[in-house]
Order: sequence, then C-alpha cells, then structure tokens
Amino acid sequence: MSEGGSGTVGEFIQGEEEPSSSWVVLAFGLVTSLTLLILHGILYPSRDLPVISEILPMFDGVFDSGIWFFILGVMGGVFAIIATMLTEATSE
Amino acid sequence: MGDVLTSLVLFWGLMLLTYFLMQNGLSIFNDVTKAMSHFMLEKALGPGIDLVEGRDGSASKAWFIQGMLWLIAASTLVFEGLWLKQDPTALHSLSAWGYDPTANSLIYASNYAALYGGIGMLLIGSSLHIMPRLADTKLASERNATLVSFLWTLSVLVLVVAAHDSEILGVNIFLIGTGMHVLGFIAIVINLLLTISERQRTLPIPGWLIIMGMLADPISTAATIITGSIQVGAGQWLLAHMIGGTFFFATAAGVALYASSSASGNPLWSRSLGAATLVGALATINPIGDSNGMMAADMLGVTFEQLQPSSQDSIVMAFLMALAIIPIMALAANVMMTLRGGDAFIENSDSAGIAELNLGASMLLPLAAASLFVQSDALAAAPELSGIAPTLLLLGIWLVLVPISLGAALHLFPTVTGRNLLSRNRARWAYWMMGGGAFLGLTVSMMSDLIDMALIEAAVDDSSALAADVQAVGAILFYGAVVGAIMHTLNAVSGLFRGARVDTDRATSSSITTEAYSLASPTSVRKILAGGASLDTTVVPVGESDDAGSATEL
Repeated sequence: MSEGGSGTVGEFIQGEEEPSSSWVVLAFGLVTSLTLLILHGILYPSRDLPVISEILPMFDGVFDSGIWFFILGVMGGVFAIIATMLTEATSE
Repeated sequence: MGDVLTSLVLFWGLMLLTYFLMQNGLSIFNDVTKAMSHFMLEKALGPGIDLVEGRDGSASKAWFIQGMLWLIAASTLVFEGLWLKQDPTALHSLSAWGYDPTANSLIYASNYAALYGGIGMLLIGSSLHIMPRLADTKLASERNATLVSFLWTLSVLVLVVAAHDSEILGVNIFLIGTGMHVLGFIAIVINLLLTISERQRTLPIPGWLIIMGMLADPISTAATIITGSIQVGAGQWLLAHMIGGTFFFATAAGVALYASSSASGNPLWSRSLGAATLVGALATINPIGDSNGMMAADMLGVTFEQLQPSSQDSIVMAFLMALAIIPIMALAANVMMTLRGGDAFIENSDSAGIAELNLGASMLLPLAAASLFVQSDALAAAPELSGIAPTLLLLGIWLVLVPISLGAALHLFPTVTGRNLLSRNRARWAYWMMGGGAFLGLTVSMMSDLIDMALIEAAVDDSSALAADVQAVGAILFYGAVVGAIMHTLNAVSGLFRGARVDTDRATSSSITTEAYSLASPTSVRKILAGGASLDTTVVPVGESDDAGSATEL
C-alpha cells in the first residue's frame, strides 16, 4: 500500500475500545495462580499443595483414565448450552 | 421365491398402492378420514395439546434443537465407544452406579442416538418446514408436531438405554421405545399426509422423496412381518437396509435437493435425476448400513439371527445393492451441480449449511461403493471384511447422513426461527471441527480395524498393542466431532435469542457496497469478485475519454 495515496495511512490513530472486565479478571486470576504455585514450589519444595492435595485423593479410582478429561470437556459444553438457555430465557 | 424377494415384492406392491391412494384419495371416505385425522392430531389430545405453541415454524424449531442436542449425545457415545475399544476399563468407575458400558454397547447406543435422535429429528424438522412450502399450504397441525417431538426424544432415550441393557425388571424396554417411536412416527406421517392433501399445486420431486421415504418405513416393516421374513437373518438385514434406504436415504435426498436449491439460489439441476433417485431409493437395496439386522430385530422384539441368506436371496440382495449405486450417483450429482449452478464455484458463503451439504454429497458415492464391497462380502459363507463393517457404518452416519441433515437444518434455521445463527464464524469452525473430526477419527479407527484383521489373519498372539495405539489416536481425533456438535448447538441456541433478525440486513465486511461497483477500466470478473462484489452487484461503467485533460472548473 502506498503511503502517499491516503491521508490516514501512516498516522497514529487512538481507539476507544477496552478489554472487558471479565477477561481482565480471568487473566489476572490465571497469572496469580501460576505465581502462587511457583512461589509454593520455591518456599516449600517437598510439601504438597494445601487443600488440593487433600481433595484429589478422593477421586482416586474414579478419574483414573484419560477419557475423563474429554468427558469433562463435553460436560463443560453441555453446561454452557444449559447456561445459555437459562440466562437468555430470563434476561430482559 | 426366497424371503428377501417375497418381502420386496410385497413392499413394492404396497408402495404402489400408497402412491395410487395419495393421488386419487379415498373416494367417499376422504372427508371423514381428514376430519377424523385432524381431530386425532389436536382435539383428541385434550389439554396436552395446549402445552405447546402453534406458531409457524415452532414445530421445526423444536425438532431442530432437540436433533442438535442428540448429535452431542451421539458423538459423545461414539467417542467413548472408540476409546473403550483400546481401553476397556476406562469407565469402570461408573459400575458403582450400575452402569458398566462396553465399546460395543456404546457404539450400538450411539447408532440409535445418531440415526433416530440426531438425523431423524433434523430430517423431520426440515420436512415439517419444506412440505407445506412445496405444497403451497400450511402444516396441518403445528402444535401436534411440536408436542410429538418430545415423545420422539423420549422414545430415543429409551432406545439408547435399551441398547445398553434391553431388559429392566424383566421387561424388554426395546418394545417400549419402539411403541413410543411408532406412535410419534404415525402422528408425523398423518400430519404430512394431511398437509399434502391440501396441496395447491403439483408436488415437486423433493416432496415425493420426503413423503415416500417416510411412508416406506412402516410399510417395509409391515411387509417383513406379513411375510414372516423378520424371523430370519436375511429378513432382519433386509428390513434394516430398507429403512436405511427409504426413511434415511430418500428423506435425506428430498431435504438435500430442496436445501441445495434454496441455499444456493440455483434451480434444481435435473428433474430426471431427481426421479431416478426417487424410484431407485424404493426399488433397490441401499448398501450403506450395518452388515446385520440387529437393530431391526431388537426394535421389533424378535430373536436376532445371523445373516445366512440362501443362494437365491444372495443373488437378489447383491444385484439390488449394485443397482442402488444409480440413485446414489444421481443424488450426489444433482446436489453438487445444483449447489454449483452455472457459475464457476461461486458460493453463497452467507448461507450456513452449504458446506455440510457439499460434504455429505461428496462422501456419498465413495462410502456407498465401500459399503457395497463390505455388504457383498457379508453375504459370503466366510466374510473377510466384517471387521471394518461397524466403522464403515459410522462413516456413513457421520460423513453422509449427519452433514446432509444438519446442513439442511442450519440453512433452514433463519427461515424457521426468524433469526440467524449467532455467528457465521463459529458455524464455520464447527463445520471444520465436526467434519474433520469425524473424517480423520473414523479413518484412523478403520486403520486400527485393518491392523487387527491383518494380525488376526497372520495368527499373531498379541494383536491388540499396535491396533490399540492407533485406535487411541482415532478416538481423540473423533473428539473434534463432539466439540463441533457442541459449537453448532450453542450457536443455534444463542441464535434463537440474540441472532440477527432475518428481516434486517447484516453488516458485511466488504468495503464495496453491494449495490454498485464502478468500473473505471477494463478488468476481469475475478478481480471484481475479489474486490468484494457479489452476484447482485450492479457493475456501472464509468465513462472514459481520450480527450486531453484540463483544469476542473469551479
């Protein structure tokens, strides 16, 4: 594209859009979780994670095959459809 | 005559009689029958019929949404079945709840969910929209058709449960599911027949394909029961293939021909090919389907028998299956040429569902040819290709019937609901996920089947290790079809509430207005189209002059 043809090309333009708050919170939460995990690994190298290490053994013998990761994905999709139906039907 | 030929002759006779009665009516009983049928469809149901709305399109909408939800269930069952083929204990933790599925039971259940739940509901939903338009009238009872969709869903649910465990508390629940299925089917057929009886013009070929496909289902069942061939393996196999070739193939053909013309804006390419599809679907045996009649036997509550046809039956079956390639070729050619039209692959990319229709039509012929070989082999005393038959059936379901029925439903969705799908981009993604997942997943699964067959033939002791690794890849790839089904359904459900209304134009990404394209200098049609113009754009030649230029007068 030639720069001389149009007055707008080559100039800086400031937009008005911002990322939605939900994405900001999600991204911030993800970064915080990763940071705390790394920090825990450094500060307490040989100790299990609190709470999580007590909950996970409850599922021993249940989620003992890789298929459950895929089934959880399907369940997530189905819940998304149900949630969409409920929220759309009850919204203004 | 053998069992097969006797049943077929009776079936053809009954279909001819049905066609005659549809054209000529029931003489003095016409009015009484119509009034009685109308009464049975609405008033006889009492307050139950008031539970649903009777607005235009409400029936099709209910069938579409439930059909899409069934596609999610069906694809999940296939995925689990493929996974359990290489890891039989993957779901053993569910046995604590009394559910102990195997690979075979999951894939068998998926066939009911996909055929009657997904494909059946999408085809019926499309038919409920298409038939009144082809007949230039209104659907006889919109409310009954809406209500029956829930009965149909319940019947499929019972059949899926029965596919895992057919006896609960000593009762054969297949028969309960079949009973509800028959009730729903009769209501839909009566509804469509009443609609056709009010037709204002000659019914085009797609309309005949739909109604004859629907009617052939109960008629073929009656024919095999009357002749008693349902008790033998050949009769059960025949019934499964007759229903596959009529209710599923012929109805899908009618819906595909209508949708291909309506979606592309092109007239149906060939009427004679349409007629060849109609006659061929009823007069031949469609090879796409299972290599045994287990579904037919289970649904009718008779003991399943292995396929051991007599030599005369084998000849008839093989000959009629080979003949079935004619209507299959006719349909594939007609749909693809109609979609393409007179242009050089200029698609109406705005219409969702075209890609699915194109995929279904493209895969029809190769899969029919492959099925012909496998089914012919199944007629032999010692079949050699039976190891790939279940996967080939899945290929037929997920690459022919699902794309055609889903493509038609997606295309008709805006007309039926008054709103577009929420996102065209998501529809495109879902198409690639679903089509790619099914194609790659099932192709790799078939490779695993072939490895298994080869190793068994070579008498290798541990034949499972190599095939299992390949099977795991096939199952994971098929997961794309599950994700695609979820994306399609989410897109449709969201579209119901927030999709752009069909009476408002959607913004296009093109910088060129669709109304006019100023042609300042000679250029190719390709460049104009590449610039964003569509088929409806008016090309306006701008006057040129060789005179010397001069300053513009102000």
